[in-house]
Amino acid sequence: MQARLNALRYVLGTAAHGLWRNPTMTIGAVITTTVMLITLAAFLAINDTLNTMVTALGRKSNLIAYVRDDARPSRVTAIMRDLEQRPGVGEVVFVTKDDALQLFVERFTDQRDVLDILRTNPLPASVELRMDNPAVLPALADELRGMAETFESVVVPIDVVERLLSISNVSRVAGTVMVVALTAVTLFVIVNTIRIAVYARRQEIEVMKLVGATDWFVRGPFVIEGAVIGVVGATIAAVTLVVLYAQAAPQVTRIISFLPIAADAGFVRNLAVFTVLVGLVVGSVGSYFSVRRYLAV
Amino acid sequence: MIVLQDVCKNYEDSAALADVSLSIARGEFAFLIGTNGAGKTTLLRVLLREESFDSGSVLVNGVDVASVRGAALTNFRRKIGMVFQDTRLLPNATVRENVGLPLRVRGHATRDIDAAVADVLERTVLADKAQRFPRQLSGGEQRKVALARAIIAKPEVLLCDEPTDSINPVHAREIVELLLDINSEGVTTLVATHDSEIVNDLRRRVIRMEGGQVLADEPVGVFSAG
Repeated sequence: MQARLNALRYVLGTAAHGLWRNPTMTIGAVITTTVMLITLAAFLAINDTLNTMVTALGRKSNLIAYVRDDARPSRVTAIMRDLEQRPGVGEVVFVTKDDALQLFVERFTDQRDVLDILRTNPLPASVELRMDNPAVLPALADELRGMAETFESVVVPIDVVERLLSISNVSRVAGTVMVVALTAVTLFVIVNTIRIAVYARRQEIEVMKLVGATDWFVRGPFVIEGAVIGVVGATIAAVTLVVLYAQAAPQVTRIISFLPIAADAGFVRNLAVFTVLVGLVVGSVGSYFSVRRYLAV
Repeated sequence: MIVLQDVCKNYEDSAALADVSLSIARGEFAFLIGTNGAGKTTLLRVLLREESFDSGSVLVNGVDVASVRGAALTNFRRKIGMVFQDTRLLPNATVRENVGLPLRVRGHATRDIDAAVADVLERTVLADKAQRFPRQLSGGEQRKVALARAIIAKPEVLLCDEPTDSINPVHAREIVELLLDINSEGVTTLVATHDSEIVNDLRRRVIRMEGGQVLADEPVGVFSAG
């Protein structure tokens, strides 16, 4: 046990010494990590913003089911309760005939004469759905159209929905591919940067193995160095990202005021924490694999 | 005890070891002589398991060198001290750090390492060089540092590859006396050399190699023999 503690102390000291001994290499590795992680995190932020925009547009897509005048209120209520439970449905609102009339009057003030001539309210009551996921709209519309005894017609802005779904799908697939590709490139670049540092010390590794060092004794300092480089680089990336986001998000929101951007503190905090974790994992795992080939002595 | 049986090792276009069979008893002292390319270094590297071999068997203190892996390999190497031909001292470490490395990797406390290093540097007449870096030492001093590193952990087997090559006679004599001293403590010692003066002076067992083969094995040999 004491031997392990001594070894641990030595490994930590060697890691600190390794970082300090070659500052150019250390700074280079940190800068590389920072640049790669800023790129990755910026893309994640852009991708998330795009998804938020698409979702927000989806919420503006409503389904309106016009209720027959002779429909049983209890049946309508039951259908509304059922719709509220459905996945992808955000909000279910009942618009009475009187509400519809009021809206008509407010919107079409110059056509009040039409209502005076009719003397009765010709507008039907309706059930309006505001969606969380517009993808379920077409199927839901078909289902409601099948309830002919309750609804006289169902209106869906189907072309808008289809375009949104198309954008959302492309955004999701492209986003996933880009995140995976960028993560791989980040890992590749960081691993190669660390590999240069390991290569410079290959003789030291070989000698340590030949005088009886365990793999972990040799590998430990490199893994710790990689983790430190990863965390420092990622922290710089995260801070840069937080500052940039705080500056840029209000500007973008002002320009595109009708679309919300994911700029809340929670999102930015999660992105920063994620970036630091990626830096830690990529740095330490990268070092682990960089040293491996030199351990086969 | 070191036992080699029909050991073969081939590089792309030549045989480094060709059916080498020999046995060295525990505590024995033996010279391995031969011209450059005779197979001496390859044989030492095989004994440390730094190099693999193609066929035959190698036993060092009962350990089958061909199959030793992982933690067992680490433990195996901890019982062997090796003086490399090119010394392989760490250029960025001081003499004290280089010599203490075998104990450091075993997890010894710094206080114990410092005491052991001071002891072995005293023995190798390097006490005043403890804080120097290898580049600040002469060739002979570097060899002695390499020897100090090899013996600090009290190995059962000591392998030396040309320990007196290209150094002045004073350092060479010091190194030889140290080797004899270490061997007298029961450490099996195998020294690869082409220093005829030392071999002829000591009149110990001589194993002559050429072209990867053992040409002669004489209990009390001289360099010029054969």
